[in-house]
Amino acid sequence: MKQDYMMKHNRENIECEVGKTMQLLDELKPLEVDHHFRVRLMQRVDREFGEGSKKGRSGFSRYFDVRLALMALLLVINLSTALLSIKSNNTQFSAGISELLDNMGDDYTTQEFAYYDQTATQPVDTGVDTILTQ
Amino acid sequence: MQNRAEATIAGIAQTRSFQKSGMTSKEEIFRSLVTEHQEMVINTCYRFVFNREDAEDLAQDVFVEVFRSLDQFREESKLSTWIYRIAVTKSLDHLRRIKRVKRFGTLKRIIGVEDPSAELPAPFSENPAEALAENERAKILQDALNRLPDSQKAAFLLSKQDGFSNQEIADILKTSVSAVESLIHRAKKNLHDRLYTYYQQH
Repeated sequence: MKQDYMMKHNRENIECEVGKTMQLLDELKPLEVDHHFRVRLMQRVDREFGEGSKKGRSGFSRYFDVRLALMALLLVINLSTALLSIKSNNTQFSAGISELLDNMGDDYTTQEFAYYDQTATQPVDTGVDTILTQ
Repeated sequence: MQNRAEATIAGIAQTRSFQKSGMTSKEEIFRSLVTEHQEMVINTCYRFVFNREDAEDLAQDVFVEVFRSLDQFREESKLSTWIYRIAVTKSLDHLRRIKRVKRFGTLKRIIGVEDPSAELPAPFSENPAEALAENERAKILQDALNRLPDSQKAAFLLSKQDGFSNQEIADILKTSVSAVESLIHRAKKNLHDRLYTYYQQH
């Protein structure tokens, strides 16, 4: 019973807090307009639509153009980097292939592989003479 | 296009209120609109952002948009409805932007770069202790409001402002009166539930 009372009391407290919070909206005092508001507004309208409209460009379109130019620049940089990277990889690949071919060529010109380079004047040690003289 | 813009301005100038005053140029009509609606626009924005400075900046953006688009006003609704619709849209956009900035701002607060008090709404009370308590409560309310869907948030906040009937709110939100009543009812329930959960946990 005591627990029920505690729970009910707690619920009432919470509802009270909720009510106070929601009441803030009703208690919100309306703002009085600052007399500088209109002056600032007209200055801004003159700035954006007065001189800008005479030159044919508003502040917004100038801002948009700058953003567009920056985006184009980033795109060019990215594409150039990508192209350079691809070119560099191709060069390394070609160099690798050439080196491999050169190495293979060298292998087949060494003495070990030169089967037909020996001449008649050069003695050939076959081991037969040694057997015959024993 | 020039002719259509001139025709639109001429059409607006022929409405009863402008005809009486003899205004014909876009600038004259614009100045008149600002004078008539600035208080309502600033307070509409204030309901969304709870901050005087942000409310005035938003109101400036609203009127700049009004000036920019005045030539294209189609008279499908009243001028005032159109202006307040722009105010609601700009306010909701501002809140969405703040939400994105806050995600990044949490990191800045952790490393001590940003001043957390910059985000608190304007105090309701002049007593510092009361103001601090109210600031905290206002922040809790603002967080709960920002979690509502945009349609519920807009309908609920507009209903809390003097000067808007349910019919006017329906015109601003381009919906029906019954839809507005439903949105307000659901907004109140959702707000209550969120605040209840918050106070239960803290």
